Amino acid sequence: MKVYRTNVMLCTCTMCVSVGALAIRKRLEEEIKKQNLEDEIQVILTGSSWLCTRGPTLIVQPDDVVYQFLKEEDIPHLVEEHLLKGRPVKSLMYVHPETLYPIEKLHDVPFYRDQRLIALWNRGIIDPDQIDEYIARDGYKALAKVLKDMTPAEVVQEIADAGLRGRGGAGFPTGRKWEFCRSNPNTPKYLICNADEGDPGAFMDRSIIEADPHSLIEGMLIAAYAIGASKGYVYIRIEYPLAIKRLISATAQAREYGLLGEDIFGSGFDFDIEIFRGAGAFVCGEETSLIHSIEGRPAEPAQKPPFPVQRGVFGKPTVINNVETLTNLPRIINFGAEWFAAIGTEKSKGTKVFSLAGNINNAGLVEVPMGITLRRIVYDIGGGIPNGKEFKAVQTGGPSGGVIPKSLLDLPVDYERLQEAGAIMGSGGLIVMDEDSCMVDIAKYFIEFTKDESCGRCTSCREGLAAMHEILTNICEGRGKEGDIELLEELGEATKEASLCGLGKTAPNPVLSAVRHFRNEYVAHIRDKKCPAKVCKALIEYEVDKDKCTGCTLCARNCPSQAITGGKKKPHSIDRTKCIKCGVCIDVCKFDAILVTTGESP
Amino acid sequence: MSKLKPEDLAKITEKVKRTMLLREGTGRAKVIVHMGTCGIASGARAIMSALMKEIEERNIKDVILTTSSCAGLCSREPMITVEVQDQPPVKYVDLTPDKAKEIFAKHVLSGEIVKEYALAFGSERVP
Amino acid sequence: MTSSGTLEPSNPGSASSQVPSDASPPSPVGAVLVVGAGIAGIQSSLDLADSGFKVYLVENTPAIGGTMAQLDKTFPTNDCAMCIVSPKLVDCGRHPNIELITNAELAELTGTPGNFVVTVKKKPRYVDEDKCTGCGLCMENCPVTKAVYLDQEKVEVKLEPDDLKRMRSIIEEYKDKEGALLPALHDINISYSYLPEHVLRYVSEELDMPLSLVYQIATFYNAFSLKPRGEYTVKVCMGTACYIKGGNRILEAFERALGMKVGNTTEDLTFGLETISCFGCCGQAPVVVVNEDLHGHFRISQIPKLLRSYKEAGNVKTEA
Ligand SMILES: Cc1cc2nc3c(=O)[nH]c(=O)nc-3n(C[C@H](O)[C@H](O)[C@H](O)COP(=O)(O)O)c2cc1C
Ligand code: SF4
Ligand code: SF4
Repeated sequence: MKVYRTNVMLCTCTMCVSVGALAIRKRLEEEIKKQNLEDEIQVILTGSSWLCTRGPTLIVQPDDVVYQFLKEEDIPHLVEEHLLKGRPVKSLMYVHPETLYPIEKLHDVPFYRDQRLIALWNRGIIDPDQIDEYIARDGYKALAKVLKDMTPAEVVQEIADAGLRGRGGAGFPTGRKWEFCRSNPNTPKYLICNADEGDPGAFMDRSIIEADPHSLIEGMLIAAYAIGASKGYVYIRIEYPLAIKRLISATAQAREYGLLGEDIFGSGFDFDIEIFRGAGAFVCGEETSLIHSIEGRPAEPAQKPPFPVQRGVFGKPTVINNVETLTNLPRIINFGAEWFAAIGTEKSKGTKVFSLAGNINNAGLVEVPMGITLRRIVYDIGGGIPNGKEFKAVQTGGPSGGVIPKSLLDLPVDYERLQEAGAIMGSGGLIVMDEDSCMVDIAKYFIEFTKDESCGRCTSCREGLAAMHEILTNICEGRGKEGDIELLEELGEATKEASLCGLGKTAPNPVLSAVRHFRNEYVAHIRDKKCPAKVCKALIEYEVDKDKCTGCTLCARNCPSQAITGGKKKPHSIDRTKCIKCGVCIDVCKFDAILVTTGESP
Repeated sequence: MSKLKPEDLAKITEKVKRTMLLREGTGRAKVIVHMGTCGIASGARAIMSALMKEIEERNIKDVILTTSSCAGLCSREPMITVEVQDQPPVKYVDLTPDKAKEIFAKHVLSGEIVKEYALAFGSERVP
Repeated sequence: MTSSGTLEPSNPGSASSQVPSDASPPSPVGAVLVVGAGIAGIQSSLDLADSGFKVYLVENTPAIGGTMAQLDKTFPTNDCAMCIVSPKLVDCGRHPNIELITNAELAELTGTPGNFVVTVKKKPRYVDEDKCTGCGLCMENCPVTKAVYLDQEKVEVKLEPDDLKRMRSIIEEYKDKEGALLPALHDINISYSYLPEHVLRYVSEELDMPLSLVYQIATFYNAFSLKPRGEYTVKVCMGTACYIKGGNRILEAFERALGMKVGNTTEDLTFGLETISCFGCCGQAPVVVVNEDLHGHFRISQIPKLLRSYKEAGNVKTEA
């Protein structure tokens, strides 16, 4: 194996690739060659390692220096200064949001410092396409231990003792689920990894697979051994091409090493994984629907019981676990149940990965111990709200969850506490909203999503959500009536009550929680026909700030409906009758001269 | 590649250990080659290559080799700093590739400081 | 299956021809022949019979009901198809004015409107229809499996040699697996960029699945389209993070720029416009994806340039 003195860890997750990480890579390699450093410095492509809004990023090891917002033009300078001469380039480093001072060391960045990595143990450290590197980080050691020294029953007990709960949303104790399946005499048994991740606003599972596919494979092997399955599926969304590619390559390597297939580690245990591409239907994340999808049947959920552990894929006992649940397993086996159980709160153990997004400075993947407060996630790790705006709410659990207002920011994050607040843990989407987000609009957005994704089997879900959507649309468009809020609540409760699967049972949550915490905003829409956050198109007006407008004519030239008039160098004005409220003018104006108002001033 | 046995995991780990230590930034010892413009002009690149070769040939896993900027003593370049864990760093000056190799063998590997090339003990820590 | 009404006064029979001579309100006369007992034929027959005509309902297959009975839902009300059609089947069978002639074909038609003569060719059933109660026991006990009914459903689907080659390799891979349909649809989707009808028919034959099931699954998932896609598919992310950062305004701007609503393709097949529920790139919100290229932190003002760059790239490609 060739020796290098420095490794440049370039993040090539989907997001960084989207902002040009591959061009950076090419340039980096060219420059390294130009400086004759190719025998000394190696460029490694890793999965998501860092702050996703700041891509492309790279980390220079062993110096532990991190660079963000890279552009191709920066590379020659960076290579010469840092890689050749050893002088880290301050201008490309992370800047502390308050002190405005560049932070050199990766581990000093607050975003990184407050996290606790269990599921993301290997993030940004290994090359996901190299099984050897995974092995060097204690990889497959847990598997060896399980196969050599433990019976399946002991493995189940260990996981039960650790108190691991499903990370897919409902938080069902994993040990209990496994025991049902293990003790079922019916064979063969199946293990399914749920990587459907339909929650619009969550990307944890994708990032885990992109950064560390072998952790998932090892986790699946351990789970399969515990429940006695010999075949596993990974049900992964087709929208995740990079994750699928990395997973395929990782399973191929594992197979080559005999870690998948027959007689693994000479123990007589057989297991192999098939990758099943889902086709983008949210309801397919629901267990029974997912099973139907794999069987090639229409993916409508079914009545439970029988539960999948009793009758799952092809009528056989099946355990379905989330990606994150499974990637926790190798660490629990290696470090022991006690170690794991010591982290977190009384009923929620371990850590949880959240995908932090929305109006927040450091959007990205964070793994935090259970019980941490939302305030710490939003302000310490997330770095607060950008552009000096005011925090308004966080939405957890995606379309099944709810909004949590500012007054509950000190809520510790665990399954029960979130539920009490009207939200749920969900699979880990955490969307931060600032004062410019309208709570009616957001509720409408989620209902629109679930309405479209409802499989249509239950009348309550199909029609109930459609009716709620119509009411919300009316409210947003200024046609709200007295009594609408009560009607929404009634419909929501009824839909929850009468629907068959988790989708219908949880879909009204975003509305119910928004009504509960932000009733005033609903009233303002209905009674005063005003959208306080200035989002709902029918209730706002665009206007030019005469003091700021320099008369550059940019907006007038870009307005699609010629609503803006005004001569060169003269303040412009917007003709309200022509304006279609498309927002282009705000987007193009360089002087912040376009205002959005609730329509009061003339 | 034939099928792995549990013992093979340790072998693979050993094989990639150096790379992993590099990533984690921990090693028993750290050798810093000062690569300012002055250093490069007076031959720091050759020192670096010699050390790289040394590490490769001896198959050393736990030593980190890195660069740093000019140490402020341009007249005595090329320079290296050796930091063995839990010991104060030592700066060596006026080096040649052969001298660097000697330092590597004696100080880094056997822990014995090569006094005749050393500038000072425990000078200020260079990041 | 179209229905055509025919008066045939010469037909021997019950509600026979009666020349309206006196002043009493004219009552309908004559008999009507309806060809094809699908939902349209059944409904016409019922309406005609209710208004007093004698109806002969001729059907090619051994049973009435047609395709609707195989459908799941009906447009636009999403009502259950069986719930609509089955009461009508019973009505049709019981109506005193309707005479069913199943397993039969129209052989000859002569005459003029008001005076047709029809010859109907009835195929043998090898069963005494007067005695058969339709209990279905014979079907269960028949040693030749699947022989009943399947013959007439089999349609030969012909594919162009090129299609055939592509499809063979896809079908071969999954043919013997359980749950083969979805992976096969994925591969077709990759190969054709949409799911063409003739190919779906072929799949239904090869995997031995009813076409209705194939369609049910093909239309269930967002990833598939039944219409040809443009060379470049613009997908606007509608994930939560993108939405709160103005994803819907971006979508509207694309609709204006391309002059069409979401879900369509431009006439020259250059651009298609779709939304997607989440790309999982929330850190870069709002996100627009064109084919495989992701554009993060997207702004409305970038649209013209973006579209132009692809158009030009497209032209270069076609020239080369
Ligand atoms: C509508 C709906 C969507 C779901 N989507 C997902 C999903 O995307 N990913 C996931 O892991 N679980 C999802 N679930 C939860 C799964 O049904 C199931 O509880 C979970 O995969 C079990 O794994 P766990 O015990 O490891 O959490 C969804 C549930 C419902 C009702
Ligand atoms: S609750 Fe909704 S999604 Fe779930 S089975 Fe019923 S209709 Fe389908
Ligand atoms: S919002 Fe759109 S239509 Fe209205 S003035 Fe601005 S650019 Fe013109």
